[in-house]
Amino acid sequence: MEPRSLLKGLHPLEIKVVLHYAPGDSLDAARLVRDLGYVEGQANQAQAWLSAKGLAAETGRVGRTVYELTPLGRDWLEKGSPEERIVEFLRRGGPAAMGDICKSLGLEQKDAGSVFGRLSKEGILSMTPEKLVAAAVEGESARQATLRALLKKAQAAGGALEDKDLSEAERSLMAEVAKKRGASDAPFKAADRETVSWSLTDAAAGVAALLREEGVSGDEVGALTQEMLESGAWKSLSFRAYNIQSRPARLIAGRHNPYVRFLESVKDKLVSLGFEEFDGGLVETEFWNGDALFMPQFHSARDIHDVYYLADPVKAKSIEEPYQSRVAAAHENGGATGSRGWGYAFDREFTKRLVLRSQGTVLSARQLHTAKVPGKYFGVARCFRYDKVDATHLSDFYQTEGIVLGEDVNLRTLLGFLEMFAVEVAGAKEVKYVPGYFPFTEPSVEVHIKHPVLGWFELGGAGIFRPEVTEPMGVSVPVLAWGLGIDRMALMALGLNDLRELFSYDIESVRLRRASAY
Amino acid sequence: MPKIEVNEKLFFELAGRRMEAAELEEALTAAKAELDGYGQDGEGRGAERTIKIELNDTNRPDLWSTAGVARQLRVYAGGPIPEYPFFSSEGDAKPSRYRVAVDASVKEVRPYLAAFVISGKPISDAMLKDAIQTQEKLCANFGRKRKSVSMGLYRIELIKWPVSYKAADPDAVAFTPLGLDAKLSLRAILEEHPKGKEYGHIIAGHPKYPLLQGADGGILSMAPVINSADIGAVQVGDRDLLVEFTGTDMPSVALSASIVACDFADAGYEIAPVAVDYPYDTPLGRSVTFPYYFQAPASVDSGRVSKLLGDSIGPEAVVAALGRMAVRAEAHGQHVRAFPPEYRNDFLHAADLVEDVMIGRGMASFKPERPKDFTIGRLHPIERYSREAKNLLVGMGYQEMIYNYLGSKRDYIDRMNISGDDALFISNPMTENFAVVRPSILPSLLASESVSSKAAYPHRIFESGKVAFKDPAENYGSRTRQRVGMLSCHAAADYNEMAGAVAAFLFYLGFDYAVEDAEDPRFMAGRQARVMVRGEEVGVFGEINPFVLENWGITMPCAACELDLESLMG
Repeated sequence: MEPRSLLKGLHPLEIKVVLHYAPGDSLDAARLVRDLGYVEGQANQAQAWLSAKGLAAETGRVGRTVYELTPLGRDWLEKGSPEERIVEFLRRGGPAAMGDICKSLGLEQKDAGSVFGRLSKEGILSMTPEKLVAAAVEGESARQATLRALLKKAQAAGGALEDKDLSEAERSLMAEVAKKRGASDAPFKAADRETVSWSLTDAAAGVAALLREEGVSGDEVGALTQEMLESGAWKSLSFRAYNIQSRPARLIAGRHNPYVRFLESVKDKLVSLGFEEFDGGLVETEFWNGDALFMPQFHSARDIHDVYYLADPVKAKSIEEPYQSRVAAAHENGGATGSRGWGYAFDREFTKRLVLRSQGTVLSARQLHTAKVPGKYFGVARCFRYDKVDATHLSDFYQTEGIVLGEDVNLRTLLGFLEMFAVEVAGAKEVKYVPGYFPFTEPSVEVHIKHPVLGWFELGGAGIFRPEVTEPMGVSVPVLAWGLGIDRMALMALGLNDLRELFSYDIESVRLRRASAY
Repeated sequence: MPKIEVNEKLFFELAGRRMEAAELEEALTAAKAELDGYGQDGEGRGAERTIKIELNDTNRPDLWSTAGVARQLRVYAGGPIPEYPFFSSEGDAKPSRYRVAVDASVKEVRPYLAAFVISGKPISDAMLKDAIQTQEKLCANFGRKRKSVSMGLYRIELIKWPVSYKAADPDAVAFTPLGLDAKLSLRAILEEHPKGKEYGHIIAGHPKYPLLQGADGGILSMAPVINSADIGAVQVGDRDLLVEFTGTDMPSVALSASIVACDFADAGYEIAPVAVDYPYDTPLGRSVTFPYYFQAPASVDSGRVSKLLGDSIGPEAVVAALGRMAVRAEAHGQHVRAFPPEYRNDFLHAADLVEDVMIGRGMASFKPERPKDFTIGRLHPIERYSREAKNLLVGMGYQEMIYNYLGSKRDYIDRMNISGDDALFISNPMTENFAVVRPSILPSLLASESVSSKAAYPHRIFESGKVAFKDPAENYGSRTRQRVGMLSCHAAADYNEMAGAVAAFLFYLGFDYAVEDAEDPRFMAGRQARVMVRGEEVGVFGEINPFVLENWGITMPCAACELDLESLMG
């Protein structure tokens, strides 16, 4: 790389090295620490960065052993080693049983035992005829003195000693008390380290010349601080240029969920088309979930294998009148709806059974008796189905449904609405309609659209509510009912292909999810 | 929704023309049917192609067979409305060579029977397969898994007339059922035969079981469970078959017989009526000759048709459109009187005729019209409030999540260190993973944390969503509430952080609030608070109990909060 283009990316730690040494000088971390006042980590960083830029090269490495104080070693420094503590304890309190010693000092029996073994050899501890451990009045174990000196020496050296720092006696004791692995019960941990020696390459000389030419010393200021601004010190300082190519730190942002945003965008579209949103509870009765929609109580979709029943409570206390009686009559013989009905005995206990709402149309049915004429309503309702959960089925999911009430609404108006949904909500270019079947609408149609990305698919179903549905609710004008399947569009907008992903628990995948368009 | 597979050759013969996939797909819309693909009948060379069709209308069992769909397409394309002169009707019983005597003993268990005989030519492989498919679809869907209608086919040559239909002692009577080669008592068939195990429950509660028997004692079948291995074993090439239906609802039984009779008639077979004598009253009388036309005429005003469809459609146009649907009709002024085809009984209301007019005229004839009524759109108050709340939380650095509402007892209750007494359990869960409605948002948030320990910390997540729980004071014994739940999880997450978040959240929503000591087992003792607004408890927050964290396998401190948005809305 061109020396000049390297300049901007140089960190002050590198600049000072390049300016201070000449190519060929034998360098290592210790030398930088000594000459430039770096801490060891900074020295290593400078070497690594310079090497990556081709300004430094390794010339060799030498292995060495470092002995680091462990937490246990520091503990011994502070409270004394087991040897010291036992001797101290016995000299203060007189002979004691081994068990009492361990208990009083919180030592393991085996540790105290090995201390006794060592110190009894040196004549410092002995066993009385009463089987008590006694300490000689004076005298110190030579080993113990060496150990204490080692610990202090290590502490003074910043917590670690190198082999070359040790005397012969210290070295042999260190071999005994330091461990390479499982050092938590040893006062020192022995670690193998390498000293890397390196030197600046010839290219560094060119860089150094340029730095001098530009007057860069490596002492330029990093951060612009509040103090500098308050004191005006910034006026006489020069500031280091930053490497703008370095990777920015990650910002974890607060953020809306993209699937929820998609659902909200659908709601906003519908509101913009003049629809008012309705909402309802997750628990429903068979009455509103099926009976009010003129689905006969023996209908296959009302099977135990299609709807979730509550275990407790099992039934609602009552069903709203006069709706229950009117709906029952519509089922049995049509009642006042002009229908001949399904011709079976309506079960007024079954109708009270509590279920988890299985279709969004329930909200439409519930809305009927309070709806205004003209009126347009919609709901995005969480529904529950007895389905095996997989990429295309969920235990609970959203259905988007709505109704339009009006003196003069009819099939053509319904097609007009479906066309609006197709264009406004789904961005469709082409729309077609085919006859459909839904238990609660007659006539019924399906709307298929050509989506710009997904191609032809069924966007939804719609129809005119049967009089058996509307008349019992006191509504005598035609009611258009529609439902939209928006999940496929949601998956597409979010770049997913598995419905389960819409309700993902994985925080990272939700954080990283981006929506193409709503 | 029933799916059927039809023999392509037979289907196109009956439909009157061959069609390629695209044309067929288009034509099937008149039957509210979809082309589901193609298959093969049998293996290897000479195997005939089949067409898979999905039928959407559960009220049109006549469309669940080869001849039924073909008929709809044939007439819709301009073919004549077929005539079925073998039908009897009120005051017009067709002469019959065959009689079935119903015994009073079946009245309580399975009171109705309809039957007819097909003859004229040997039964073909395609028609037999179709009849068996019809039997399955008709009896499974329309016949409610044989409960209200079941069907049987028998070889006439082995039957001694008249046939009797009576209830028999399950231990005293035995016969060899289809699929076995030894005699079993009726009770043993229910216990041992696969069909007995599947359908036996329909009759098992009765002291006697329904039995069809020839004059010589030869057994035809035990309805609705299984045929006999001799009279009831129909094979390709058999001539003269008895087709019989039994059930608990006379219109359904009679209609099923009509559907199958019309199918065989369309395929060129002769239909011979069977007279059935009842010792008790039925909706069609005591002596009924089947197939029997029992449907009442339906009527609709052409003004109603025009109003609902949005185009001006005169009575003659209504009659013409119904004709394309094979519905005979006549105009009387503005009024149109329609006679349901022999195989249909789905005109419950004038609205049903309106739909047939719509299909008869074709969807393309209806031009979409821009709605004229002006209405004001608005979001639900809960949605508006929730959005307000969510914007605040996003501003506070929280990531919005959305979760399923159905989960396991383990997650929603056991792991949360609560009794779960107020949780709503499902009585028929498919698996224990989806067996409880969540009573709180907190387990959902903790479930997220439990699978996200590799995601960069801090984790600050929330959801605004619904929960439901028991409330004996309510009519439904339960309540659904909109809540917001927040979770902060990182090395320094604590009570103070969450207290600050709650303070900011409620400040911007415009509330003064107080905190009170709480003893929620999901949180750490002494590090949790009840949030009080207007003297009412609106939620709780604090540090999640490490016991709960351990249950979730979470090893990072968590502070959380759950507030009831509907309580805050007031």
